[in-house]
Amino acid sequence: MDGNSAGCPVHQGRDDRKSAKVAEASADMHTGTRVIGNFVAARDLLRSPKMRQAGASIEHVDLSKPDEISFFFLDGEIHRKRRAAVAGLFAPKTIVTRHHVVMNRAIDEITADLQKRGSAPLDEMSWQMAVDVAADIVGLTDSDSNRNLAIRVRKVLDASIRQRKGFFSKLVLNARMLIAVGRFYKHDMLPAIAARKIQPKDDVLSHLVKENYSKRGMIMECLSYGGAGMLTTREFIVMCAWHLFDNQPLRERFLSGEESDQFAILEEILRLEPVAAFLQRRVAEPFEEANGTALKEGEVVSISIRDANVDEAITGPCPFELDPDRGKRMKVIGPFMSFGDGPHRCPGAQVAMHETRIFLDRLFRLPGVRLVSAPAVSWNPNIHGYELRGAVVACDPA
Amino acid sequence: MPRIQFIAADGSEEFIDAVVGLSLMENAVSNGIEAIRAVCGGNAYCGTCRVYVDPAWRAVTGEVTEMELPLIEATDDTTPGVRLACQIPVTPALDGLIVRTPLSQE
Repeated sequence: MDGNSAGCPVHQGRDDRKSAKVAEASADMHTGTRVIGNFVAARDLLRSPKMRQAGASIEHVDLSKPDEISFFFLDGEIHRKRRAAVAGLFAPKTIVTRHHVVMNRAIDEITADLQKRGSAPLDEMSWQMAVDVAADIVGLTDSDSNRNLAIRVRKVLDASIRQRKGFFSKLVLNARMLIAVGRFYKHDMLPAIAARKIQPKDDVLSHLVKENYSKRGMIMECLSYGGAGMLTTREFIVMCAWHLFDNQPLRERFLSGEESDQFAILEEILRLEPVAAFLQRRVAEPFEEANGTALKEGEVVSISIRDANVDEAITGPCPFELDPDRGKRMKVIGPFMSFGDGPHRCPGAQVAMHETRIFLDRLFRLPGVRLVSAPAVSWNPNIHGYELRGAVVACDPA
Repeated sequence: MPRIQFIAADGSEEFIDAVVGLSLMENAVSNGIEAIRAVCGGNAYCGTCRVYVDPAWRAVTGEVTEMELPLIEATDDTTPGVRLACQIPVTPALDGLIVRTPLSQE
């Protein structure tokens, strides 16, 4: 899909997306699977109990041992129970009453450091925010430092999402993965588990300890909840900051608006720039789309979140234009399909929205804050999403 | 179309003509009932579409389900008849349903 919304008489088809070009260049990677970009069809499919999780190297996962694999790969009742057991940690009330404290503390440190240094890479700042918040929710709070925790998590995630062909490469990769996981378990998980055996807390890890998860099961669950939140929120914060730096009226509206308006702005940015572009599902039972298209059992389909989010039937006219009033006007939940839908919808969606809002609200109130260099946009084929690197922000000294 | 009444915390009333087959939450959002936030889009992951079912209708809508319970508990909302609107499918039997909405969904 191109960004030229021809036929829009008012706005001449303005396209506000910053990640469109690189996303379009990656679209051919889904050759061989049916791509669904219609919003309603995508939603029906993601909500259907006839679908199973697919993609993300699930073919290499042993589904016969659900206790040792991440909830992400599960479906049906067992998936629902695993999600429900910790759902309260991601509820809006919990976010406001508990996680805001962590978010504010993290941004205090991040902005103080920026004022001290004068300038800093934006993706490092957003990464620290994402790590601090995710670590607290998951329960990785007994590490030597969150900075070291972040480095170890990065090494595990880098090793796990890198896909290489060939026996030797796989061997090296597996060895790296084992080392990275081993360090993460020893330095971050073991002390946290020990602390929670003595004094349980209200976090994911305490739940896993209470339910006697195996070592492998605990690692998988912690990396799923923590890693996903860290990787995606890091990019989302940078993308939103970039839009706000480039668009003065939008920035002024963000800074003068109430929380609900700030969220509307962030949700609209996310609609245009979803961090994950594709989701995949395997058809477990024959399924018929609303338009009559039949999907066969065993077929793998790719849901294009980027396309669904600009489906004019849902967005109204000028779908490529950043319009924070769109969601309310169209009576659609703001981020549209950006957090997925159905049973696998992102559990940390609201956490990401809140930490991004707090981060940006504080950043843009710093005296003299400015974007020294814009980020370079690249594509990470392993997570089907954009990466923004190289952005540098500066501000006046404290 | 079943006619459903929403009564806000301030006592104001709104009526909607609901579409059968959609959830009560989807009907509320598409009719602009602002007290229903539904930030998770109807997946029982957020607890922000809470309604209080009128006592006379609780047998028809059913009790709170196992899927809703963790989220309702997380909100500390112990109001009688509390349900997540996303987990109430609208059927013809709900014609005349009365639900109240909370002052805040957080």
